Formats: sequence, C-alpha cells, structure tokens
Amino acid sequence: MYQFLLTHRYLTSKVMPLLAALAVALCTAMVIIVWSVMGGFLVMLINSGRTLVGDVTISWPITGFAHYEELIKRLEADPDVAAATPTIETYGLIGLPDGRTETVQIKGVDGPSYTKVTGFADTLYWKPIDTPHPKDKYKDDPRLQNHKLWEFCFEGGKNLVRYEKPERGNVAVERPAVVLGVSVSGFNIREQWGFYPGQARARQPDGTTKPVNTILPVDGSVTINVLPMDTKGRAVDMVARTFPVANEFHSGLYEIDHKTVFVQLDALQNMLKMNRATRVATDSVVTTNAKGEETFATPTVLGEDPARVTNVLVRGKTQSFESKAADALADKVAGIYRQFAKDFEGQVPSSTSIRILTWEDQNRTMINAVRKETALVLFIFSFVSMTAVFLVLAIFWAMVSEKTKDIGILRAIGASRKGVAGTWLLYGAAIGLLGAVVGFAIAYGVVTNINAIHEWLGEKLGLYIWDPKIYYFSRIPSDLNATHVTIVLAGGVLASCVGALWPALRAARMSPVRALRFE
Amino acid sequence: MTAAANNSAVLRATNVRKTYQLGRLRVPVLRGVNIDVRRGEFVAILGASGSGKSTLLHLLGGLDAADKATTDTGPASIEFEGSDLIRFSTGRLDEYRRRRVGFVFQFYHLLPELTVLQNVTIAAMTAMGKLEYWSKRGEVRAHASALLERVGLGHRLQHRPAELSGGERQRVAIARALVNKPDLLLADEPTGNLDRVTGASILDLFTDLHKGGQTMVVVTHDEATAARADRVVRLVDGSVVAA
Repeated sequence: MYQFLLTHRYLTSKVMPLLAALAVALCTAMVIIVWSVMGGFLVMLINSGRTLVGDVTISWPITGFAHYEELIKRLEADPDVAAATPTIETYGLIGLPDGRTETVQIKGVDGPSYTKVTGFADTLYWKPIDTPHPKDKYKDDPRLQNHKLWEFCFEGGKNLVRYEKPERGNVAVERPAVVLGVSVSGFNIREQWGFYPGQARARQPDGTTKPVNTILPVDGSVTINVLPMDTKGRAVDMVARTFPVANEFHSGLYEIDHKTVFVQLDALQNMLKMNRATRVATDSVVTTNAKGEETFATPTVLGEDPARVTNVLVRGKTQSFESKAADALADKVAGIYRQFAKDFEGQVPSSTSIRILTWEDQNRTMINAVRKETALVLFIFSFVSMTAVFLVLAIFWAMVSEKTKDIGILRAIGASRKGVAGTWLLYGAAIGLLGAVVGFAIAYGVVTNINAIHEWLGEKLGLYIWDPKIYYFSRIPSDLNATHVTIVLAGGVLASCVGALWPALRAARMSPVRALRFE
Repeated sequence: MTAAANNSAVLRATNVRKTYQLGRLRVPVLRGVNIDVRRGEFVAILGASGSGKSTLLHLLGGLDAADKATTDTGPASIEFEGSDLIRFSTGRLDEYRRRRVGFVFQFYHLLPELTVLQNVTIAAMTAMGKLEYWSKRGEVRAHASALLERVGLGHRLQHRPAELSGGERQRVAIARALVNKPDLLLADEPTGNLDRVTGASILDLFTDLHKGGQTMVVVTHDEATAARADRVVRLVDGSVVAA
C-alpha cells in the first residue's frame, strides 16, 4: 500500500518525473499521429482501390466467357449476394482531342448494374455540388454553378451516354459515350485547393499550362482503338470508334485515374466481337444459279455464339473491410460458379481454371506496399521513441540517488527489497500512464485537427507538406484506430516501466545502513 | 530495573563481531560483543564516537548482518526470542523489522513528502497487505493519531516534517516506531541532535514508554541519557567493558 502512497506523493511534489512523463507523452503522441495518418492513408487507398471492383470478381481475361447473364441470375439468387454486373477489361489506345495517343485500360460496363455493384457513380467528377470543397475559400469550383449542365453530365456518366439535341422533336438523343479517368486527357490540372478548374488546361513541355477550348464532358470526344480476339485468343483486325465523353471519374488513385476509360458494355462487345453472333458455314459463300450466274449463297446457319464478357463483378450484402468477409463471399461465388460450369460444360471455363478474386487480391500489390511502408515508418518512429526509455532511466537513476535516504528509511521500517523495487516500478508505470494519457490527448488534438493545423501552417509559414497537386487526396487522411491507440499507450507505459527497472533494482539492492548514512 | 522487567532475555547477542572491508583494509568494529536485553528492560549502550555502538544497534535491529565466522571464542549469534537473527533469510529479517522492532534515529529519518500522520501510518502499511490495510485503514489512522496525540503532536497531523522543530520530528519518529506495537524499541542517539531541554522531554517520553512496559535499547554517548536506563552497557573499541 505504501507504494501507492509514495507514488502519489512523488508524482505531485516533484518536477523531474514530470519531464519523464513529458518525454513519454511526446513519443506516444508521435507514434499515434504517424500510425493514424499512415493508417488513414491505407484505408483511403483501400477504399479507392475497392470502389471500382466490387467485393469479388470472376475473371477470364481477354477472350471472356459466355452465358454470363445466367451466371449473374444465379449469383443474384443467393441471399449473400446484393448484385452482380458484367464487365469487359481490355487494353487499347485512346486518341485525344489534342492529337495525342495513349495506352489505356478499357473497361466495358453496363452503367445501371455497374453502379449497383460498385461506387462508380460516387467517383464521377462532373456533377452538381452544393457545398464547396473545404479548401475552396473563394468558391471557384465550377460545379457550384450551372447545376443543370452538370446534372446532365452526371446522368450521362452513370449510363455512359451523351445526351444530345435531336434534329427533330424534344426528346434528347442518347449516344453511347465514354467516361475517362480525370487524368487521362491531361487537360484537368488540379488546383492548389483540391479541385479541377472549369477551364481545361493542357500541360506544356516546359511544365506550364495553357487553356484549351475543349471541355471534354461538354463537347469533347475521343477515339478508342481495340484489338479484338477470337475465342481461341487470336488477334483480329484493329477496331476504332469515336465516342463522345459523357463524364470523367476521380477514384483518388492516380494509376487508375490516369489509365482507365469506361465504355458502354454493348459498344465494347461489338468492337471486340464479343457480342451475340450467328455462326455460319464458310464453305459455300458463292453459288451458281440456274442461269449460270454466280450469286452469294444464303449462309448455312450453324448456330449462335452467345455474347461474352471477361468479368463478372459481385457485391456482397454485408459490406466489410475484413478479409474474412470477402473470402467467405468468394467461397460462395466459387460454389455457384462450380455448378454453373458443370451445367455449361465445354462452353465456359472450368471451375478449376476460372479466376475468382476478392477486392483485396486485386489490390494486393498496392495494399501490401503501403502496409509495408506503414510498418517501416512505424518501426523507425517506435525506435526513435525508445529514447523515452533512456530518458526515464536517466531521470529515475538520478531520483533513486536523491531518494537514497528514503529507501533506507523504508527498509528500516520493514519494507522488503521487492517492495522497494515495486515502489519505483509503480512510479515508473504511473509516469508512463500519465505520459501516455497526455500523449493521447495531444495526438487526438492533432489528428482530429490535422487539416486545420496544416492549413494554418500553410497560411502562416507557407508550409504545405500535403500538397493536393501532388497527393490525389486533397485532405490529409487519418484513422484513429482504437486498437492501435491501445497498443501505443500500453507501449508507452511499458517503455516507462522498462526505463524504471534498472533504477528500481538498484534501489532494492541498497544496503539499508548505507542508505541511511547517505548524505 | 523497573518492576516491568523480568528475567527472560528477549534479545541475546553472543560473541557478535562486525568487520567492514574498506578497500583492502579490514576494519573490525565489533570484537565479540555479548549482551542480553530482558523483556521490559531499558538498556543504554554507552560509548564514545566510533566505539561501534550504532553498528551494534543495527545488528540487533536486523538492519545489518553480523560476521558469521566462528572464532576461538565460539560461534556468533543474536537470538531474538530464541531465534538467531544471523541465520535469518532477508525476508525473515524484513518481517522482524516490520513487526518486532521499532527504530528511532538521531536524525529522525522522516519521509519529507509525507505528512506527520502518513509518516506514522506508512510503517503500518509495510506490516500489512494491501487488502488488510484497506480494510483496517480507519483503525490504523486512529491508532496513529492516538500515538501522535500521546507524543504531543495531535495538532500537527497534516503538517510536513519541514514544518516541524527537531523535537517534534523526533516525536513523530517515536510514534512511527511504536505504531506496529514492537517488542523492542531501538534508539540511536535519540537526543543527539536536540537541545538540552528538548532532549530532556524526549527522554521523559522514553521513560514513560518504559514505565508502560516497553523494552528499549538506547545507544548514546551521553551519561545523563544513560542514567535513565535500568542498565548501562559500556562499549569501548568494539568490546563491552562493563554491563
């Protein structure tokens, strides 16, 4: 009991141990802030990476697989599946209005069902907004005005169509259109304040930008070039088609926003010759009629090739970031596909060949890279925080020296060696706890106001560490995770106890007589 | 000897030796001391500075360990109620200091951060487990307060040692030494740091305690202090010359 009494008294009557607590507080705060920001960054990356792929993907790349409508019907009949959608993924070339040609990943999607499975609609950039971006102090964002125009763009983006004026009548004409990643064209140069200006600008070789007249979602069009393959994987002739731009999307991941183009599924199926087609015999193209004239024969119909897609994306009923949830859904999907492959044996890839991937599998490289980076940064900062151990050790060593006579008194009145050591360890734990609590308070204050602090630093000192022109997230992300905080706080207390251990043992080993004679 | 003293020796030191090692030099401080303390007796150990009287008191109180080696005069022992302290484990010695002995030092040795009352109750805390103390904390405080009242400090319970005079501090030390109702009170020059009048009042207190049956061993170099005891043991150069 005397340990608690002395710890309380020493804590409230000495300045030196408060310095040790401050060291623990600063180290604790530093690690929590770093972990929260890196964790927030990871969560944001995962969110962005997951947005456009659903929870589970059934994939048979390049040539695709048939009877996907039936597969989707079966998937959607399962109680754990919320929705499923067909998509095609391929690579191609895009011809831009300024004459550039870029290689891009082309995704053919069915707008309405794709929106149900993914967060596609949320990523569409050109849409009416009512509240300005947090950093847009002067309300310069073009989406704040002309809501009707942006409403058209938004609707067009969701359905991958451009609404155009009809030659006759009042009903708008829908033309199949594309949705580009916001960085595909290079016209959208992000403002310092985190939004894209209404006036498109093109980046020049010298690094400057100049205005261009084309606002892609309003009046721009691009040419898409793809290379169709037959079912054996052999290339057929290149196909090119010009599409109007319906909208642009902003997922937050530069690699996706810079290299991805969405095209209406039907249009891409046609271009890639993956649409439904009648198969005919090719041996009697020309025949001779009764008059002896050569005529084109009516081809003998052999059958019908069903339409194909390369992917079916599935969204689960339960939305969870836990790997287990996605894995469970993937197992369910695999079971459904197994039966489907059995029913359509010879017409679709076998259940052992098909690729069924969770959202995490698809983003594993990126997620693992950031996780490793987070672990490395944490390791470095935790290592730096070990200085707190030595600070506590030095301060406690000095305090044990100063309190030698007290130790002698305690021993004289019967305190055991264990009891004396326990006093100093308890004191160390109290210092650690105090430091950890203060550190958490500091970290909480910083993490929850990190953007305001960052903005203040920018305004007062011109210091913009997180520049939205460089980082695609315009706000500094943060995720104050309870488990992480608990680990760090426990680490702070433990570090303080470790620092106090050696001085505590020294105190315990003191001869009571010598301690009492200490001057 | 008062009526309270009886013939049973509560403490018996036989052939006690203590040698300190100062670098290569061995300095014998006690050279085979024999001393008995009977229950209820007030014994004064009188000696000049450096005679080994404080060392002897530390050995009797289990604060320090006597030499174990057997010499030509026989084995050493310090028997408390028949058990030899020299053979006690560290834990048993701690227990002995906690429950059987109370110390009063020349320089009071109070904990400066604690109040007067806490300086007394802390000794009780060492003798009890956490739960035991928690359940009896009211009784312990009442007992400590009563002791402080008895030594004339009932009005100073919440003061810090720095706010007290030397005499008052020594009274706190006496109350602390008595809080666990020890069999033996050991005092090392209890008036050595006090003026004559204050010293006399402290000795009066000791006399009162002795009259109440408290067994006491007081180490002093002062003949007047020794005169208050039932019996005086004179120590010269680490040996008893008269008892």
